[in-house]
Amino acid sequence: MIKYIFKRILSLIPVMLGVAFIVFTLLYLTPGDPARIVLGDQATEEALHEFREKEGLNDPFLVQFGNYVWKAVTRGDIGRSYMTRRSVANEIMSAFPSTLKLALSCVIAAIILGVPIGILSAIRQNSLFDNVTRFLAMVGLSMPVFWQGVLLILLFSVKLRWFPSSGFDTWATLVLPTLTLACNPLAVITRMTRSSMLEVVRQDYIRTARAKGQSERIVIWRHALGNALIPIVTVIGLQFGTLLAGAVLTESIFSIPGVGRLMVDAIKMRDYPVVQGGVLFIAITFSFVNLMVDLLYAWVDPRIRAQYK
Amino acid sequence: MKGNSRTKAAVLAVSALVILGLAAVPALAKDTLTIANIYDARSLDPIIQNEVAASGAICHINETLIDLDAVGNPVPLLAETFEQIDPTTYKFTLRKGVKFHNGDPFTAADMLYTIDRAKSPLGSAIKQYPEIIESAEAPDDYTVIIKIKYPFTPFWGTMAHTSLAVVNKRAVEEKGDMYPLNPVGTGPFFMKEWVKNDKLVLERFEDYWGKKPEYKTLVMRSVPESVNRTIELETGAVDIAYKIPTADVSRVKDNKDLGVIGAFEHSVTYMGFNCEKEPWNNPKVREAVKLALDINGARHAVFRGTSLTPVSIVPPTIKYTDKDLPAPARNLEKAKQLLAEAGVKLPLKAQIWSNAYKPRVDLAQIFQAQLKEVGIEVEAKVLEWGAYLDGLKLGDHDMFILGWVISSVDPDGIMSGIIHTKGGSNYSRFYNDEVDKLIDQGKTMPDGPEREKVYMDLQKMLAELNPVLYLYNEESFYGIRNNVDNFVPSPRGYHNLTGVTFK
Repeated sequence: MIKYIFKRILSLIPVMLGVAFIVFTLLYLTPGDPARIVLGDQATEEALHEFREKEGLNDPFLVQFGNYVWKAVTRGDIGRSYMTRRSVANEIMSAFPSTLKLALSCVIAAIILGVPIGILSAIRQNSLFDNVTRFLAMVGLSMPVFWQGVLLILLFSVKLRWFPSSGFDTWATLVLPTLTLACNPLAVITRMTRSSMLEVVRQDYIRTARAKGQSERIVIWRHALGNALIPIVTVIGLQFGTLLAGAVLTESIFSIPGVGRLMVDAIKMRDYPVVQGGVLFIAITFSFVNLMVDLLYAWVDPRIRAQYK
Repeated sequence: MKGNSRTKAAVLAVSALVILGLAAVPALAKDTLTIANIYDARSLDPIIQNEVAASGAICHINETLIDLDAVGNPVPLLAETFEQIDPTTYKFTLRKGVKFHNGDPFTAADMLYTIDRAKSPLGSAIKQYPEIIESAEAPDDYTVIIKIKYPFTPFWGTMAHTSLAVVNKRAVEEKGDMYPLNPVGTGPFFMKEWVKNDKLVLERFEDYWGKKPEYKTLVMRSVPESVNRTIELETGAVDIAYKIPTADVSRVKDNKDLGVIGAFEHSVTYMGFNCEKEPWNNPKVREAVKLALDINGARHAVFRGTSLTPVSIVPPTIKYTDKDLPAPARNLEKAKQLLAEAGVKLPLKAQIWSNAYKPRVDLAQIFQAQLKEVGIEVEAKVLEWGAYLDGLKLGDHDMFILGWVISSVDPDGIMSGIIHTKGGSNYSRFYNDEVDKLIDQGKTMPDGPEREKVYMDLQKMLAELNPVLYLYNEESFYGIRNNVDNFVPSPRGYHNLTGVTFK
């Protein structure tokens, strides 16, 4: 098991190098002179030149990339933001807690609601409940976050005054962003649970379990759900990974100081070090979540566990 | 992998704690003023960033030697008196008994350190301000003598800019890299808490030398969505909301608990021609475009009747603006005639570039329709900011829409920036020796009727040569709750809230 985890972590190295190279190339090819954007309209040519020299922007592409990788590997230094002069790691780490808070609350809400609804839908296939659920899941998938966020604000902040429309310091400020952002993962998890359960409940071992005289509760929750869990865990992992990468629109609608907003701001201002560091961070987070999901497989499925032994 | 359910429960419990953990309710008593701005400051170090949001926060924490009044004249701040000894030498006598937030006394050495630091490579973002300073010395603890490189009348504006706000040497050196997060100054507020991109909390400095604010806590929140700023104002979560969009103004006005204040800034938005390129190098063609456009009507439509159509390149908030220049008037016949005289083959194809700022995009589209009537077929092209500036630098453009903010509060700011041959943002590629000579002259002359005449002449020449057409002076709207008093927006675009009171 340990060996497997170690191997997986090692395999991250080429992934990271690849990601870094692609981001670096794309940024290099993007029009827009960081010096001019950072220093502003009224900066002198001399100041612009000084900035480019200092930040190594005049170096050839490969030299820039080599320097970046070298510093990252030897010193763990992924650069300093052009805009704030703080280290990129600091910038990301100060934005990440907000994103993590939001992602966790969304995923938890989506699991608590999505899995039971999916199961019920599957057990009562083609019932009114199932049809309504499927319809709502479709709505949840197709609703644009931006529109939905504003509607929620109008209802709950302006009309009812139950929750604040922006800020991120109390539990109440978490409610509307979670409602907005959880819709999509909720719909995905519900649909996946439903289809996975439908497949499992037709298997022979379920019939056997029922024939043994097991109570329906145990049949569904232990025998069926246990076996249906793998694809569900996979989508939960993917959704969580996506949420951790920062929900750009939701974060700006509700003024949440998270990774998504940090990245958009950095891209607009050509703050290359922050964009590079941010993308690397997202790639690492995503890979890490995937690793966790794989380990979860082992947890939920004894067959997989057996392979590692 | 044993004890699954227990582990699961623990995971859930930890997650719940993370979510609910930071449920600290902020105190919203009468001694707290909360404002909503669009952006958060990028840094609280005065020399790291040249932006309105940062200046708006820093001006409460760090102070400059002097400040400017509404028309740009210097007034005392940390300097009790100040004078210009000769054309390139200025003397400042500092206030005694001023303390920094960390208890250190403020002396001339701090000002010298501030200037050195601003001129160091760390200050590259604000380099244009301290650059003029040749040397600074302190004959005693409360006198600072500053020599500048050449006579420069807008120097008071330089000294009043937040990039030269006094920092405390000990604090900067002790905090090192973390200084921008822990600023120390002499201002009426000290920093209590800063959650980046969310809120900055400032607390009243009880040892402040001047008139202390009546309220205790100032909370500056960043709320990028304009709808949310309005909503937060309506629900009472904030007392002042900056930059209410024109579309929301009447809604806020109609609310009996709220009021709206409109204010102009030292800025102008203009449409420039590429004066190096055919046929825009011909002043007749530029005039023809001016006559073909209904700038005033377009501005009316885009801003719902608010804002102003400028007659001069110098905004009305800046001294020496010529208010008597003729307002732009549409004359299609004359426009066609000028195009014919210039020998332009119609239809003429051209592009108007702008960035994605909505009023600019809207204006470009209106102009597209208006220019079509005289046979100029325009494509309105919207570019992302970085690509836009790059394109302008390369000079591929025909016409472009851009804005300019005069941070020096002097007509020289815009003339030297976008009109002078050596202007860093002379994207209209307008090169005219006579105009350059007048700009150089105006920059160094002492204020008075002679200087005024230079700028009056310049404005007349530009109105005839039309390297740029003036589109609008934008009016900004501030929503305030009715119990808030003494909020006076500054035309600099950032506002000192120390004097705000509650009714």
